[in-house]
Amino acid sequence: MKAVRLLRWSGSVLSPRTRPEFFPIRQSIHLIQCRTQATAAATIDHIEEASDLSPSQPAYIPEDVLTRLPSPPIEASRTSAKLAALHARLSLPSRLPIETLARTLVDQTADHNPKFNNSSFSVLGNDLLAYYTSEYIICQYPRLPLAVVFAAMYAYCGPKALATITREWGVQPAAAPGGEVDPGFLQFMRLPPEPQPERLGPELVSTQSAMVASPNNPNIVEKRRRSISNRTVYDDEFGEPKSSGIEQSIDLSQGVTMEKASANFVRAVIGAVYLHAGRAASKQFYKDHFMSRQLNMASLFQFRTPTKDLSKLCAREGFQPPIARILSETGRLSRHPVFVVGVFSGKEKLGEGAGSSLDEARTRAAVAALKSWYLYSPLDWKLPSDTEEANAKQWVPQMVDQGDVVV
Amino acid sequence: MPVQAIKSVATSRNGVGAFILQCRRLDFHYCDWAGSSRGMNKLLTSSLLPQQVTTKYPATEFRISSRPNKHPILKAYYINGNTKAICVRNLEPAQIIQKAELLLQNSGIKNKKIRGKNVVSQNESVRGIWSPLHGGLKNV
Repeated sequence: MKAVRLLRWSGSVLSPRTRPEFFPIRQSIHLIQCRTQATAAATIDHIEEASDLSPSQPAYIPEDVLTRLPSPPIEASRTSAKLAALHARLSLPSRLPIETLARTLVDQTADHNPKFNNSSFSVLGNDLLAYYTSEYIICQYPRLPLAVVFAAMYAYCGPKALATITREWGVQPAAAPGGEVDPGFLQFMRLPPEPQPERLGPELVSTQSAMVASPNNPNIVEKRRRSISNRTVYDDEFGEPKSSGIEQSIDLSQGVTMEKASANFVRAVIGAVYLHAGRAASKQFYKDHFMSRQLNMASLFQFRTPTKDLSKLCAREGFQPPIARILSETGRLSRHPVFVVGVFSGKEKLGEGAGSSLDEARTRAAVAALKSWYLYSPLDWKLPSDTEEANAKQWVPQMVDQGDVVV
Repeated sequence: MPVQAIKSVATSRNGVGAFILQCRRLDFHYCDWAGSSRGMNKLLTSSLLPQQVTTKYPATEFRISSRPNKHPILKAYYINGNTKAICVRNLEPAQIIQKAELLLQNSGIKNKKIRGKNVVSQNESVRGIWSPLHGGLKNV
């Protein structure tokens, strides 16, 4: 893979940040200068330029100017203790300037100007997060059913997980965005949290048909059956329908929930680390903060007809049809019997389960057999992104299974 | 549909990958007039504070403010939302630094007695759970 020249690319993404509409031309020139600063991966010219400017800058910006700004000025980020502490707490690379970290904390509902908010970073960060997480899940568990892959993606980098990470990083929201706010706060126009529908069971990766934006024209909303395989094409990385363009424009004027704003912030941090410190640093950051989290993959499965699934799976893989046999039992005629049932394919024992009735034990055994098939993990696995490094080993293609059985 | 999937959130294990210091802010409060603040004032005006506290803990935000006619205190704010405060009246600078480090290195969780409770792990037991129905069966 050809390496992208980061400095050049980031220079075009992070163009010099000026906000001329806030400073009429009659106002003193140094004010314009102090809102002008390139946070593009700091080339030496820019650093010198900034240091040249600093003596001529005023000690503080007058309050009436500050309150007119939608987000804190760039100079404020250099003196913010909160922001410096956050930079150190996340052990961010020193090449990521503090001004950019301040920008990742400004949501697009706080500051509509894309040069001052984190929207461009979060788009990049979202793609990186999805890429790193999906390759990790698929390489480690090549036989996972697609629904479980979606659930695992959601558990590692879904909006809820990112909101939790924001809290665990010690980032707090500002009461309201504005130029006078400390840049160490997360700034966004606040909406109350979305109402959660009352559910009896656990929340599942949805499989029902839904009103979805047409893939050709996002303005047309159509009802589409959402099978699990068509979601890999049309839906986002969590198997949820992509939000249409209309929805987003409404959101922008009203505000966002805390969850969405904090998810965008975490994505923006990843994007900013990638742009300023490069691929290796962003991958290390991802490993430290995301892959270190604990997720029990076996707890994500929910089977409806495990015995039927197992016999279909055995038929597909060319095994002998599964047969359940009692391995041991106790207290059959008592109030609390225990049966241990094994599911066998020929002489091979596929799984084993214990239950208080024969049916329960057989179902548990089938679930254990299915999980042991789906949760197979190769001993020696490698990520495709590892081969992007300069002195990486040759890529050896890995097995990815055809997935779950269709019943 | 053969398999459905349950939505959940992966839990953090602080220190496995990144370590995040749980104390996010530490306040030093002093009084200019009262004698109990003598040690605190000496600490705040000396170079001991940057040398031994603030540069050692860059992940924490430090604030210094006066609290007139009151004893000097240290107040720590933690990521989990808790706060812990220690009154440092009549203490020498070295003792105050000790108290500050106690707060800085604290997890912010309420103090609990450990008293030989069982170790709880998120990982499955390597050896498995003993079952009365497997192996060593006796026929009566």
